[in-house]
Amino acid sequence: MLPDVTALNRVLAGVSGAKVLEEGPGVVCRVPFDRVLETMKALAGEGGEFDMLVDLFGTDTGEAIDLTWHLRAFGKDQEVYVRSFVPYDAEVASVWSVYPAALYSERETAELLGVRFPGHPNPKRLLTVDEIGSFPLRKSAAIRERADYARPGVRVTPKEGGDADE
Amino acid sequence: MNDAAERAEEVAADSAVADEVGHVPGGVTAEGELVAPVLPKGLRRVPRGVDEVATEHLVVNMGPQHPSTHGVLHILLELDGEEIIAAEASLGYLHRGIEKLSEHRRYAHIGTLLDRADYLSGIHTETAFAMAVERMLEIEVPEKAWWIRCLLAEVNRIASHLVWLGTFGLDIGAMGPFLYCLRDREQLLDILETVTGARMMFNYVRPGGVLMDLPPETEPMIRKFLSTFDKYMSEYDELLSGNEIFLRRVKGIGIISPETAVAFGLTGASLRGSGFGWDVRKERPYGIYPELDFDIPVGSVGDCWDRYVVRMEEMRWAAKLTTQLLDGMPAGDFTAKVPRVLRPPAGEAYAAVESPRGELGVHVISDGSDKPYRLKIRPPALYNLAVIDEVLPGYKIADAVAIVGSLDIVLGEIDR
Amino acid sequence: MSPYLEVLLKALAALGLMLVNGVVLIYMLRKVLGHFHLRLGPMRVGWHGTLQTIADVVKLLTKEDFNPSLTDKALFVVAPFVVFVPSFMAYLALPFHESLKFADLDNGLFYVFGVLAIVPVGVLMAGWASNSKWSLIGGMRATAQQIAYEVPLLLSVLGVVLIAGSLNLAEIVRTQQGLWLGFIPRWYIIPQFPAFVLFLIAGLAELNQTPFDMSEAESELVAGFVNEYSGMKFAFFFLAEFSNSFIISALAATVFFGGWLVPWYPDAPAWLCAMVFLIKTYVGIFVLMWIRGTLPRIRIDQLLAYGWKVLIPASLVWILVTGFVLKAVA
Repeated sequence: MLPDVTALNRVLAGVSGAKVLEEGPGVVCRVPFDRVLETMKALAGEGGEFDMLVDLFGTDTGEAIDLTWHLRAFGKDQEVYVRSFVPYDAEVASVWSVYPAALYSERETAELLGVRFPGHPNPKRLLTVDEIGSFPLRKSAAIRERADYARPGVRVTPKEGGDADE
Repeated sequence: MNDAAERAEEVAADSAVADEVGHVPGGVTAEGELVAPVLPKGLRRVPRGVDEVATEHLVVNMGPQHPSTHGVLHILLELDGEEIIAAEASLGYLHRGIEKLSEHRRYAHIGTLLDRADYLSGIHTETAFAMAVERMLEIEVPEKAWWIRCLLAEVNRIASHLVWLGTFGLDIGAMGPFLYCLRDREQLLDILETVTGARMMFNYVRPGGVLMDLPPETEPMIRKFLSTFDKYMSEYDELLSGNEIFLRRVKGIGIISPETAVAFGLTGASLRGSGFGWDVRKERPYGIYPELDFDIPVGSVGDCWDRYVVRMEEMRWAAKLTTQLLDGMPAGDFTAKVPRVLRPPAGEAYAAVESPRGELGVHVISDGSDKPYRLKIRPPALYNLAVIDEVLPGYKIADAVAIVGSLDIVLGEIDR
Repeated sequence: MSPYLEVLLKALAALGLMLVNGVVLIYMLRKVLGHFHLRLGPMRVGWHGTLQTIADVVKLLTKEDFNPSLTDKALFVVAPFVVFVPSFMAYLALPFHESLKFADLDNGLFYVFGVLAIVPVGVLMAGWASNSKWSLIGGMRATAQQIAYEVPLLLSVLGVVLIAGSLNLAEIVRTQQGLWLGFIPRWYIIPQFPAFVLFLIAGLAELNQTPFDMSEAESELVAGFVNEYSGMKFAFFFLAEFSNSFIISALAATVFFGGWLVPWYPDAPAWLCAMVFLIKTYVGIFVLMWIRGTLPRIRIDQLLAYGWKVLIPASLVWILVTGFVLKAVA
């Protein structure tokens, strides 16, 4: 299930700045954000044979967006995570030409986390409306606290340290 | 197998038609040689969506208010008469921000939200989340808890597939099977209600085990259902599988090649219908599935009929699994000792289950606090649905309805 | 009595019959479909929901007469009547008994098919005038389908016309009097069974019934050409649909099942004959509803291919066979 780190290093030899680490949920290829497409091509090609993009999502770490591509090789029965720190408002080349499964996930990531994917053939919004005005999954986009629901005549007691109904 | 060969010929003829219609991009060089289209494996054309401004073709909005969109799906169709030129799913009508909300809930409260993601098979989503949290906390789940989880998962799988079967029949135009399926699903919901206290929004599978032990009346209830299940299945077969009109509507329609299926990240019955036998229960075993005896039904051509047969077989296997799970139900604790407030150490975990729609994964990233730092659901139905951009062009409107129905989508899970 | 008054009264009687029929058939459809689908159907208004249809009619009558803003006003208003009136006109040719006829037409059979051929025009008008894409597709489908299936519908009864030697519906019934071998009624269903099968299939398509409900295919076109209609205008479409299914069933009863003739009871009184005719018709409608509750829907291109490539050649062949046999017998 876990791929061999040295073998992956060999596959990614042509991608400058790529590091293969064993961390998090398994084996992670940490790559610079401008080398993502190159990495995907290497992983999908000879030696890698990762043929399916299982999932794509981003995490707001506070300093950048940490994008994760979860890949799977059916033939070798291996899984690998490709990760890349993307500065806010940076662009990452769309990987749809390697993994068409990214078409919808990239649209979702673009609108929820504010990462742009140049090269996407249909870069519309997927889930949210145009008027939303923020990137909801970024940590800066706070959800409404209890006090925000206060209206004249309605008494709301904010809970200590809690921002959700207990 | 003669049948399969015949259908393979039909498929070949069908793709020849697709070539004639000109959906395959490519070109001819000055020497008159055909240039193969430069496209990723498994694609016929660049899925550039629908051009809403063009006026030469009719662009219709199928949904969000439309009888056969399984909730609030909105498909943009570019039509040339009855034939589809391009298709695109427009989503988000059911987006409730479950992932964002989860970042503001304690671990014990998230199950409630996840039930509302895939509202037809809540047990599976809950199990995936519980597994991810257990991996981070390194909790040893008691054996009985896993037996209960798997038992309810299989019961829930039959219930979910029954809804799919009924709505698929509705999509094809047969209203009868829908009500027959709901009649039988009602029994399953009663069983689930007896065990969990809720019909659909269970919040029953908790990190560390399950909420409470199986009540004693569960087993006779399930056995009563199983005793009549074969009769029900033969009723559905009579109503649909043996119907000539139904066969004409599904055979050779909506063919997804294995390459296309893998390229678009299809999982579950949609992938297995294309002849790719990959099931999380077999390939990434969890719970007590390794101890159980079951097969993975696999299709051959990848048309709507194959997906239909695979799901019907899955229902039969789920019934057999339920019997095995009832027979082998051990005694013991139904939950491990779990702290009242869960604080997984900083780190992350991915856990996937085979939900009725495919590989349902939950990726949890923790920063050591009592709330997840990031929670990502891998929605199988979203990836299954994405394939319509590629598959629908070239078919008729009626086929679009059948194909979307055969993919078994649940909008709650797609939009989250 | 002045002949004009007589005509007026007959027309009013036909209209009354049509409306009562509509009310009864709607209730019957709900109950029959409900029980086929393991439901009960309407149960609340009146005993077992018997007054439900009345309540619905009152609701439809009191609804706002709503015209969507971008429709073609004139066509939008006229279309329901273009659909409704032909089906009302077709009633006039149906013979309930020797003495119970609205009109004794020598070409009654062709008259019925002739007026029913106007219906697709109204459907196309409704689809076009609604200015809705789904309605337009529904209207186009209905027209293509009805043109394709009117031909086999007509051809399928020609065999009977050859045997009876008349296009008069009452005359066709009269030729079915008597018994074969002393106990089999001389109904045309027996020598003309293949023609009846063709008639049933083509009739289902003509009625826009499942499995041929293309023009209002619910899971594809939402409600097809009636998408934008509401209130009484919608009710007219609905009424026309139900009365069409009555007409096709009545035609089947007349042409293939001996019309008003009561088997083994040649001297039946007029009231019994009319009852028997209605019972035969309603059994036919029940069969239509049965099919509706069971079968899935065929696809439009399959439907057209089936109509042009199978039904029309088959009905032509059957006319040839009938003709040869008649010649040989003579």
